[in-house]
Amino acid sequence: MRVEYINPFVEAAYSVLTEVLNTDIKRGELFLKSTSMSVLGVAAIVGLAGDVEGRVLFDMTHDTAMKVTNAMLTSMGMEAIATFDDMGKATITELANMITGQAVTKLHNLGFSFDLTPPALITGQNMEISDQRVEALIVPMECQYGRIEINVAVRER
Amino acid sequence: MATVANKIRKRTTSALAREEELLEQIDFKMVTFSLAGKDYGIDIMKIKEIARFVHFTYVPNTPPYVRGVYNLRGEIISIIDLRGMFNLPHEENERGEEEAGLILRLESNLIGVVVDKIDKVIGINSGSIQPPHPIFGDINIKYISGVVENGGRLYIILDVEKILAKKEEISEKGKIFPPLGLDSSSDIGQKKLEGSIEFKEKAHTDSSKSTGQNSAVDNDSLNLEFITESLLALEGFHVSLLNLDWIQSRYEEWKKERPAGAYQLATKQDSTSFLRPFSSPFTGGLWSKDYAEKLAAALPPDLGKQLHVWNPGCGRGYETFSLAVVLRKKYPNSIIKVWASDKDLLSVSAAPNLVFSPGEVPEWLREFMVEGKNGLFFSPAVKDMVMFEYHDIMNSHSMPPVQFTFARDLFSYLPIDYVKTMIRDLHDRYKGPGYICLGHNEKGTIEFGLEEITNQPLKICKIVG
Repeated sequence: MRVEYINPFVEAAYSVLTEVLNTDIKRGELFLKSTSMSVLGVAAIVGLAGDVEGRVLFDMTHDTAMKVTNAMLTSMGMEAIATFDDMGKATITELANMITGQAVTKLHNLGFSFDLTPPALITGQNMEISDQRVEALIVPMECQYGRIEINVAVRER
Repeated sequence: MATVANKIRKRTTSALAREEELLEQIDFKMVTFSLAGKDYGIDIMKIKEIARFVHFTYVPNTPPYVRGVYNLRGEIISIIDLRGMFNLPHEENERGEEEAGLILRLESNLIGVVVDKIDKVIGINSGSIQPPHPIFGDINIKYISGVVENGGRLYIILDVEKILAKKEEISEKGKIFPPLGLDSSSDIGQKKLEGSIEFKEKAHTDSSKSTGQNSAVDNDSLNLEFITESLLALEGFHVSLLNLDWIQSRYEEWKKERPAGAYQLATKQDSTSFLRPFSSPFTGGLWSKDYAEKLAAALPPDLGKQLHVWNPGCGRGYETFSLAVVLRKKYPNSIIKVWASDKDLLSVSAAPNLVFSPGEVPEWLREFMVEGKNGLFFSPAVKDMVMFEYHDIMNSHSMPPVQFTFARDLFSYLPIDYVKTMIRDLHDRYKGPGYICLGHNEKGTIEFGLEEITNQPLKICKIVG
């Protein structure tokens, strides 16, 4: 992955998560992965197009997704949810949108033009994601609610 | 008489009726067009639309009958010139002039074909299609599904699925049956590689002439075996035919450097100092003028208008920028793109914005640099040639086919089989002659699908597959 793309994603994930969760976020070591990898349980996916093609995947366990949703909802004065319902799904989707949106804005300021597709949310057990011939950059983010993995797979057009 | 006339009339009307019946049973429609003055037809079910093409985008490195790609309302389709494909005479189109063509909908994809002139759509009965005669000249008989007469003209019906299938067959063939010699050469490579690690066996045959030194030679071969294992374990260095010559001569030096008997590499420190002379000159630094000139002299005179270069293991980017400048000077009229990658995130992420103090920049590079407030950096013209990527060479990559790979001292640090696969992949993906630059102490051999075209000091190899 082009090195110029890395920082905007890391910075956007860090700043958005810090802001909306209002807690300490620790960034883990970045790494690359090419083979298929398992999805933790709840995954929001945002497609990218423009100078590049690819997708960003926000991956977390069901438990983390619940806690993150509740942290976001209560901080906005809304009621916490007990099951991962439509509200929960919408919240995680929105989180993915915010992070990708901010990253794309940063990239735009650097002179790269990217477009976003509407985010989609995938939930389930024992899932795997594989990208043919695209290497994925994994940005792990740790917070008190658990671990959120941001998996960016883009290639030049 | 009347009855006879009636009978005749009856018979003719019934014959006419039958003929009409046959005409009415139109079950095959085709679009007809002309190529080099002759009439042809294509089954209308295969045709998505009739189009007029203008402004193709030329695609380099394709067969001459591929005109390029075309943007059909947002969909990109490839365009083939049927006249070129069948070696029919045709006039070169003036730039920007519209051309007649058909968009075909084939099983797998859409494809556009350019023809001389679109005629019309005619309906026929499929029963009236005659099989092609083997002596049809211009177009190979296997692409013709039949001949039909209509309105006094003879139409040759083309089998477009077969025409396209021919292309796929070729590319599949390329995959299944790699170019001659590749299979056998990799076999030899395997055998020789096994052999290369078994120093002992080799030493035995060498020493059979001088039995008196048997034990000494045995020791050497054992030591070399241990060194091979230690280098792999401590340094990730794979001893193979790529570097065997160097390892053996280095071992002789090593024996002189070390106290007697202590020839094995016991610690990381040992292995590092054993490998120290392996690195090519100017590893991790900007190149000297002399070195750059030697590379420029060793490079092939022409690498095409579009030059894609891969620089895996670029580290902090000193090598990449030096290389980019050499290429720019050597091929001033080419569009050059250098893909530089490394799996060390810290090194490679600093590479695009390298800043130099005036003292460390060799004179020959100065004209390609501009001065900033923190020091010198490469001018946008050079920077734009290079794209740095955070990439692990063991993962797949979606790079375009590259003509030239600059990988000094890299392949010795990768598993042997992986290097072979990678070189074969480079060879398969790039159609023309591809080149690789190896490290100074590496050797391109046929077992790796390489053939050295220059020897000293830069090891430029042609990829022969």
